[in-house]
Amino acid sequence: MLRNYLKIAIRNLRKQRGFTFINIFGLATGLACCLLILLYVVDELSFDRFHEKADRIYRINTDIKFGGNDMHMAVSPDPMGPTLLKDYPQVENFVRLHGRGTFLVKQTGQTNNLRENDIMYADSTLFDVFTLPLVVGNPKRALVEPNTVVISESAAKRHFGNENPLGKTLLFDNAFTYRVTGVMRDMPTNAHFRTDFFVCMRSDNYEWGRWLSNNHQTYILLKKGVDAQRFSQNFETVIQKYVGPQAQEFVGATIDQLRQSGNRFEYSLIPMTDIHLHSKQNIELAPNSDIQYVYTFSAVAVFILLIACINFMNLSTARSANRAKEVGVRKVLGSVQRQLIGQFMTESVLMAILAMLLALVIVALTLPFFNDISSKQLTIDQLFIPQFLPVLLVLPLGVGLLAGSYPAFFLSSFRPISVLKGKINLGLKSAGLRSGLVVFQFMMSVILIVGTMVVYRQINFIQTKKVGFNRNQVLTINEAYALGEQTQTFKDEVRKLPGVTNGSVSGYLPVPSNRSDSPLFPEGQREQSKAVSTQQWGVDYDYIPTLGMELKEGRNFSREFGADSTGIILNETAVKVFGFKDPIGKRVWRMLDDEGKVFKTYTVIGVVKNFHFESLRQNIGSVALMMDPNQGAVSFRLNSHDIPALVKQIEAKWKQMAPGMPFSYSFLDDSFDAMYRAEQRVGQIVLTFSVLAILIACLGLFGLAAFMAEQRTKEIGVRKVLGATTASIVGLLSKDFLRLVLIAILIATPIAWYGMNAWLKDFAYKIDVPWWVFVLAGTVAVFIAFVTVSFQSIKAALMNPVKSLRSE
Amino acid sequence: MISLQNVSKYYPAGFGKTYVLRNITLDINEGEFVSIMGPSGSGKSTLLHILGMLEEPSEGEYLFFDQPVQKLSEKRRTELHRNYIGFVFQAYHLIDELTVYENIETPLLYKGMSSSERKSRVAELLDRFNMVAKKDLFPSQLSGGQQQLVGIARAVASQPKVIFADEPTGNLHSDHAKEIMDLFKKLNKEDGVTIVQVTHSEVNAEYGNRILRLKDGWLESFQVPTLERE
Repeated sequence: MLRNYLKIAIRNLRKQRGFTFINIFGLATGLACCLLILLYVVDELSFDRFHEKADRIYRINTDIKFGGNDMHMAVSPDPMGPTLLKDYPQVENFVRLHGRGTFLVKQTGQTNNLRENDIMYADSTLFDVFTLPLVVGNPKRALVEPNTVVISESAAKRHFGNENPLGKTLLFDNAFTYRVTGVMRDMPTNAHFRTDFFVCMRSDNYEWGRWLSNNHQTYILLKKGVDAQRFSQNFETVIQKYVGPQAQEFVGATIDQLRQSGNRFEYSLIPMTDIHLHSKQNIELAPNSDIQYVYTFSAVAVFILLIACINFMNLSTARSANRAKEVGVRKVLGSVQRQLIGQFMTESVLMAILAMLLALVIVALTLPFFNDISSKQLTIDQLFIPQFLPVLLVLPLGVGLLAGSYPAFFLSSFRPISVLKGKINLGLKSAGLRSGLVVFQFMMSVILIVGTMVVYRQINFIQTKKVGFNRNQVLTINEAYALGEQTQTFKDEVRKLPGVTNGSVSGYLPVPSNRSDSPLFPEGQREQSKAVSTQQWGVDYDYIPTLGMELKEGRNFSREFGADSTGIILNETAVKVFGFKDPIGKRVWRMLDDEGKVFKTYTVIGVVKNFHFESLRQNIGSVALMMDPNQGAVSFRLNSHDIPALVKQIEAKWKQMAPGMPFSYSFLDDSFDAMYRAEQRVGQIVLTFSVLAILIACLGLFGLAAFMAEQRTKEIGVRKVLGATTASIVGLLSKDFLRLVLIAILIATPIAWYGMNAWLKDFAYKIDVPWWVFVLAGTVAVFIAFVTVSFQSIKAALMNPVKSLRSE
Repeated sequence: MISLQNVSKYYPAGFGKTYVLRNITLDINEGEFVSIMGPSGSGKSTLLHILGMLEEPSEGEYLFFDQPVQKLSEKRRTELHRNYIGFVFQAYHLIDELTVYENIETPLLYKGMSSSERKSRVAELLDRFNMVAKKDLFPSQLSGGQQQLVGIARAVASQPKVIFADEPTGNLHSDHAKEIMDLFKKLNKEDGVTIVQVTHSEVNAEYGNRILRLKDGWLESFQVPTLERE
């Protein structure tokens, strides 16, 4: 029986080639989108699960409000891990990491340095807590001695080629020698941080035992069966027992007093497997993703699959009208409804399976492109792991059954004689449902179009927003510390090059980086409650002009004023937080020690207009600029048409002053754009998929229009014989579809409006959703629908009426 | 075998009803060859459909082998279709996507016959209807008469007790028509299959041993003089 069904199915599919192609291709595209997104989502969800003990590993987060500033940090005090292990039997182990950023690394004795990023200190317990298999070396001993380092296989290859690195030494920044005690397998890409170098924590010349400094990512491994939620209640005891005394000693107030004056000290646990998607702390080891993206993409995938399924269903139903006779005959020959349902289901499942196979081909072909826009390294074989197999089987089966169900149940329920007599025009009978489905499809397309436009406008808004400084043609030198004492000379030398209009040596640039707030106090008021938590940036005379910041009042630091080492420039936010009505000349105190006993007095000499230095998702915080020439970031303002040539000249100067050091630079606007790369990526992905969604929807509409035109061939013939013009027939056929699309637009508008406002809520600075976005999306939808449908209507209208009437 | 008691069929029309069949009482015995005649719209097709259980009477009782048809479940009725009843249509109603062989095989599939049995049964029918050479052709590749031959072969495949034929020669010219009618006659005589046909043509009607005449839904039945079975 099944063979009979399959035979009929295949012959049917072959007979109606165009329809089969549209149906299978449409569904395959939808499935391919789904699979791509599935790969993406599964990859996102798989982060850090490769650790064997992942379900028991937690990171300690620190939430502190101190001096008016909220700090949510991924780091905690250095004694936290050891203390928890000592005091609480529930804790099986801990490991601390301390990210140290980029170093210049070479094998001792070699001349050429290589830039190595994300180097970090790690406790020797690293390999007990995390699952990081060593290829060479003993995990128990590897990071025990100071000045030892475990490197990854690829780092070993880079620095040692095919030699065995064990026992050899690496020179970091031409200053620190570390002995290689282990080679680990490269860390998987789905880890919330990656590094090629773990340096023994004991190499760090750190003042250990400070509860008030938060610098270490601490991961604890709980014993089996310990409830993390309940365990985290112990943090209050830790605060009272350990943090309290140090607070008393250094700040001069008890924890309770500090808390009463509005400060906050809290520690919490986050499961390691949640970090990648849920953690939004400061000072993460690497930027995290967001569960929001996972939701967005999953929704898009479901949208597209729905659109594709609807197509499939619509076309199958429409086409099934032509099968009515067959159904009638079969019923008369003794087929029961169940068998007919089985037959139609077989057919649609067969098509869905073909579509799935085609989808796999499409995925294989488009994966490089998808990897490019999603910046992932997904491979097609990830689809063929055992967990995915049910999906690969269930998806086409489910889609096939779903799509086949309507024609199956609908057609098989008819009394055979009414079908055989041709009394029922099945095509028209199911038109109501089909219309509903078309409306639904276009509704989703319109929502996707609106979504894409809003995302793009928001990104554009951010990128062109006046950020308070001029980020064009600002070149910054990376690793300027390599210049050492030559920094100032280098700056002056480059400054002399034609095309370089200014240059500055400073501590920070207005792009996100690791930096923290420290308190400033109004003069004479050293109470914690008066503290204003402020970014304190050391700059030079040329900082403000180089970056194109604007002064609101007062003046910039100037060589003509001798006392500028005690001058300070605040931004507008800081002025507001201090509550200065007339800020120029006001004095503030800056704490120089940790105990809060030594203060330096600064006089406000200027107010700089607010500029953005973090992502536009956040509001602008307080910033204070002070003179401090001994800083590491060198930046130049250029004004040249031939940037590459100019950069070459700068590089030449660099080579003179920092021989052996790689020259590396970046442009400020690039760094700025990097902040929004996640948004851009989302935008690009959404754009790609909404184009596909519309394409699929149109494919369906195309097929449907063809069918409707075919159904009405006789009517068209008669009308033409009676004198109808081609235009009037095109209008007649297109009218119905356009009405459906208009209804879809009406339904989609409020949904899209609501959805996009919800998305924009995340941004501190955002666009309003403009009304014309909806008009444009609507027009696009109508236009596309019209073009699609009219192709078929014109074809039908141009047909010779005699032909269509004779065949009746 | 077939017994109708006061069967009527009507459709609602406005506030009243339009009668298609009125008060038909009729018995057909096993082995008969009955022709139903009448002008267009007299209800002969409806009567045939009721007899074939494709439509239900509005009033009255229908006994098929002494079973009241109205009370049969859909499933039981399908079973009757599979095992007792064969249909031949004016428009042949072959399945376009299936070959001659497969069309004939279809009712056997529904009957649940084993593959080897099916093979021999279809082969026997093809042989008997002289269509062995055409078994792999599709309906569209056959002439009308050949298509109707396939239709009849398909109807008799499941060895039904009765064949209902709705103007089986309506679309054929006279040579082919004669061939088909001879075939029915043969089936009736040699295989003992009861045949009920609807026809316009007096000539074709003569093949039967009884003619039922319908007019405006009324049955004016009388015996045909030549009903004596040879």
